[in-house]
Amino acid sequence: MASEEEDGPLVGRAGTLTQVQSDLRNAGPGGTSAVFVTGESGVGKSRLLRETARAMRDAGFSVLSGTCLDIGDALPLHPVLQALRQSGHSGPALAADAGDLLDRVSRDLLTVAGDRRLLLVLDDLQWADRSTRQLLLYLLAGLGDVKIAVLAAVRAEALQGAHPLRKVLAELRRLRSVRVVDLAPLDRDQTVELVTAVAGDTVEAEDADRVYKRSGGNPFVAEELARDLRDGRVELSDTLREIFLSRVDELPPHAHAVVHAIAAGVEPVEHAVLARVVPLPEAELIEAVRAAVAHRFVASADDGYRLRHRLVAEVLAAEVLPAEAAARHRRFAEALEVDAPGDHGRLAHHWQRAGEPARALPSVVAAARSAEELYGFTEAHRYWSSALELISDDAPERTELLAHAAEAAHLCGEHLRALSGLDALALRPDAPNPCDLHLRRARYLAAAGRTATAEEEYERVLTSPDCSPRQRASAAAYLAELLLHLGRYADANARAQEALEMAEVNGSTADLVRASAALGFSAAFREDPDAGLAVIRHAVEIAERSGHPDELGVAYLHLAELLTGPLNSIEEGVLVARRGAERLASLGAGRTYQTRLLAIAAKGLFRVGQWSEADAVLDDAMRHRPSGADAVELLLSRCQLWVGFGDVDAAHRDLDAVATLLAGGGARHVLPMLTLRAGLAMWQARHAEARAAVQRGLTETRSDDLVLIGVLAWHGLRAEAEAHAAGQPVDPGALRRLKVAVERMAAGAGNAAAPVRATIDGYLDLCAAEQARAEGRHEPDLWARAAQAWDRRRQPYPAAYSRLRQAEAALQRRSRKAAATAALREAYATATAMGARPFANEIVSVAQRHRVALADDVPTVPMPAPAPPPDDELGLLTTREREVLAALAEGLTNREIGEQLFISERTVGVHVGHIFDKLQVRTRVQASRVYLTAA
Amino acid sequence: MNQSVWGPAQQEMADLLSNHPDDVPGVVEQLRELQTILTRVPPLLGENPLCDFNKLYLTITEGVLERLYAGKFKDPAFLSRLDVEFAARYFDALRAWAGTGSSPRCPEVWSCLFQRIPGPDCRPLPSACAGVNAHINFDLPFALVTTFDHLGSDPIDDSEQHHDYLEINEIFAESIPGLRRGYLEKWQLLIDMMNGRLDDWWQGEAIEYTRNVAWRNAQKLWGLRHDMTATDRERSTLDNTAAGVNKLLLSPLGAFLQ
Repeated sequence: MASEEEDGPLVGRAGTLTQVQSDLRNAGPGGTSAVFVTGESGVGKSRLLRETARAMRDAGFSVLSGTCLDIGDALPLHPVLQALRQSGHSGPALAADAGDLLDRVSRDLLTVAGDRRLLLVLDDLQWADRSTRQLLLYLLAGLGDVKIAVLAAVRAEALQGAHPLRKVLAELRRLRSVRVVDLAPLDRDQTVELVTAVAGDTVEAEDADRVYKRSGGNPFVAEELARDLRDGRVELSDTLREIFLSRVDELPPHAHAVVHAIAAGVEPVEHAVLARVVPLPEAELIEAVRAAVAHRFVASADDGYRLRHRLVAEVLAAEVLPAEAAARHRRFAEALEVDAPGDHGRLAHHWQRAGEPARALPSVVAAARSAEELYGFTEAHRYWSSALELISDDAPERTELLAHAAEAAHLCGEHLRALSGLDALALRPDAPNPCDLHLRRARYLAAAGRTATAEEEYERVLTSPDCSPRQRASAAAYLAELLLHLGRYADANARAQEALEMAEVNGSTADLVRASAALGFSAAFREDPDAGLAVIRHAVEIAERSGHPDELGVAYLHLAELLTGPLNSIEEGVLVARRGAERLASLGAGRTYQTRLLAIAAKGLFRVGQWSEADAVLDDAMRHRPSGADAVELLLSRCQLWVGFGDVDAAHRDLDAVATLLAGGGARHVLPMLTLRAGLAMWQARHAEARAAVQRGLTETRSDDLVLIGVLAWHGLRAEAEAHAAGQPVDPGALRRLKVAVERMAAGAGNAAAPVRATIDGYLDLCAAEQARAEGRHEPDLWARAAQAWDRRRQPYPAAYSRLRQAEAALQRRSRKAAATAALREAYATATAMGARPFANEIVSVAQRHRVALADDVPTVPMPAPAPPPDDELGLLTTREREVLAALAEGLTNREIGEQLFISERTVGVHVGHIFDKLQVRTRVQASRVYLTAA
Repeated sequence: MNQSVWGPAQQEMADLLSNHPDDVPGVVEQLRELQTILTRVPPLLGENPLCDFNKLYLTITEGVLERLYAGKFKDPAFLSRLDVEFAARYFDALRAWAGTGSSPRCPEVWSCLFQRIPGPDCRPLPSACAGVNAHINFDLPFALVTTFDHLGSDPIDDSEQHHDYLEINEIFAESIPGLRRGYLEKWQLLIDMMNGRLDDWWQGEAIEYTRNVAWRNAQKLWGLRHDMTATDRERSTLDNTAAGVNKLLLSPLGAFLQ
């Protein structure tokens, strides 16, 4: 009864088929590819999917297929889990968090694929749930490590209006590994060819022409009209609806019942379920199904029956009497209670449409819980909401359901609904304690960005006599955190002090850690860094005592952020971050925190110029298979390294992956992405591209992100300067807008906290110098000033870059050649130590142009690829640790080592501790011995 | 596209529309090139009604870009996305236009205007207004929903985004000096008749008023955005209402109002 072979002739799609297959085979740099087929209903999208899947399977691909459901109640990830089930997977075990779930599903896909490449075919993607869309982006970004090709069909009608896929496709179509194919209707000749293929050569030309006019080239309609022509029927209608209805009327009665049943069901409809819904003797039922297949309404597969075209269901739904539909859904629900009692989504769907709210409720609640287990909070929220619709206002369950609905709405980012849910909850006679409600409302408000109102809610908890000391401690800690985010450091400091006092007596460890972090940061921002540091160190101790992974993760994160951020004690921050990650790894928990800690470490290492070390840390972090915003951060950090190393392909790959993930949302990462795009384009001398990226960034920046503006404006001015240096025109409009941005930054710097101001000043120096260069002025002093600023910040890359330009400007002025040579050599030493190839080569070309030798005994040549790290007993140590050990073996004290390496004595102490741990020694003498033996 | 609705400009049009600009400078560029191409569409050439709208829209978008560069908006990220999303819907409608009765994917409200491209001639002011009506009353609410969805925030009154959104009204006011108050009020009356809100007609300028309607509609759509059926229903209602206004604007009555 398999009916797919009974497909009509395929006309006018040969070129598209070949192209789609080649696009799918042609994986992008990330090892993935995708083709999205859009087109109107009946234009042949599903057919194209089937034909392509068949050809790809023959070509050795492992093929999985799933279809999204239009019931609006599908469970998260439905189409992918359906596809996995078909190949014998039972579905994912419970995951630890949303990222873990994505990871597990991709591992399952990997298992199915084995060593073949995988093709995932998804039909009716317009009905895909949010989790499925996110999984798709995760896989296409290469984060699942699956060599996957995705082929999906989307109804064009659905993309009008504000469909979420609209935006996703708009972003994805820019990527080299993604194609969006718009399947157009057939033209006149193709339609005639189709008509002839169906109805034979005897068709009159004007008949074929009429089919074309009436079908508008829609192959589905054309084929049906051609059949009428062949069978000598007079077709009076030309809308799909009328065609279908007249066809349904011609069915034998039992087959008619079968088609109506399948149309009302959730596909695929299993035979056993159908047998209960259409109660006929076995033989008659099979006969009826056979007739429905023969009349081309139903397709049969191993897992059950489907309508050949889902449009039939939509047409029939409008024709069926409400009572008739309810009865059919009731029979489905009863049948499923016997045959598939665990399928809550389907049960909920049918019971609701059967008009049986009381029987629907348990299934709806169960479906909500399963959705939450799959971290599909959007779907969970929809289920909780429909549960609320099923019960009356005075039902006792209502309170609990309201609470769940509000929380799910909060978790999926539906801030308005979360808040209105909470309002409804507050009006219940058995509402939770008002203080709890204030706390929750404040959290929701803060998430919605309505900070002023959130602050009021926290204040209410703090002043209400009814609230417990624990609730007050919690409110104070959250409030301090909020004030810190708002940049109100004095207020935050006072609140945090208060919160800490309360939390020490009455609070949970989480409140204590939160309050400490807020206190520490606000103190540091208020120029009392030591006090801040002491508080957060204390928080780490408290978390260590509790041993709870979440608390440890948060505490280490705060300490590492404080050190690498406002205190600019980057090396120590990196150490703390790595120590924290190791600590959590040893507990086997807190994967997200480990990833974030490693991300901080990598960023810090990049800034202090230890790039190969940063590379290793990022590798480590990517092994945790992060998703969402964490993945974007890591990819951006790694891309920054590729740009620095001059690995263009890898940089493009990561930029594409970032763009893929950002197609699903995540506006705050757009700016760093554009900055990197500009940086990469500049090394390739593509000034216009760099300019466009920066200018786009300038229009999308929130004016309070001064550091981000600083980096961006520097990139923009540098692009103009490079263009000028290359003899290409400078864009006066772009230059003017960049100057405006710099002025805005300078004006805003005064209000920034001192540590932030220092960074902004560094960028202002770079911008001023770059602007002079773009205007053709040679100003070594401006560059010397920038170099000093970045030296003070202990960031070798921008410092060395400034030295290069300082030397260049001096050489162009033909003055102070000795100083210029020294600056150039210093920059070159830094560049080679970091492995910054494009930068080093730029230095070499300046040196060659001005006949400066970069070293006394080495010819000035472009830099080769870096050598692999040494592979001996010291291989466990980081580059920095090896440097410390070498100095230690010379007999230097910690203070002397610190002076030699430009790091604090304290940081040297931490390094030495790590060296002892790794080499399993206890004294400096033993450590020296290991070092000397290895060297 | 089965038939050539753009005449000799058909190929240029197809080439231009194969671009999907993703930033405001890109949108300005696309509108500028569109303007050049549109003046070559026979038989009215530069006099065709879409030219009138496109020219106005180009001026307005240039105004947005200028303000973006000058840092006049509180949330430029929001406004840039909105501008891009907004324009994308106009370009989509153009892409879907394949002539009367054969453009199932072109919103009715745009079809009303597009089918007048070959004539009969209508006055520039009502033409521009018909485009503005299609774009604001139909496209804008959806563009807002997509933008908010992308940024992960809600359409809330008095928020920074709302403030920026209202800021655009000034650009409209500056860009339409030809829309004198008398005409605006008559046009306003027309819209209110269509929407059944007669009591509001005198309260403000047309653009400001309809843009507020669009903001309200976006808030309504925002609540429905996960319910595809309800969203579809809302879309066809908006399309019908706005198309009704356009038919009036492009009728002799519209010319009479000028």
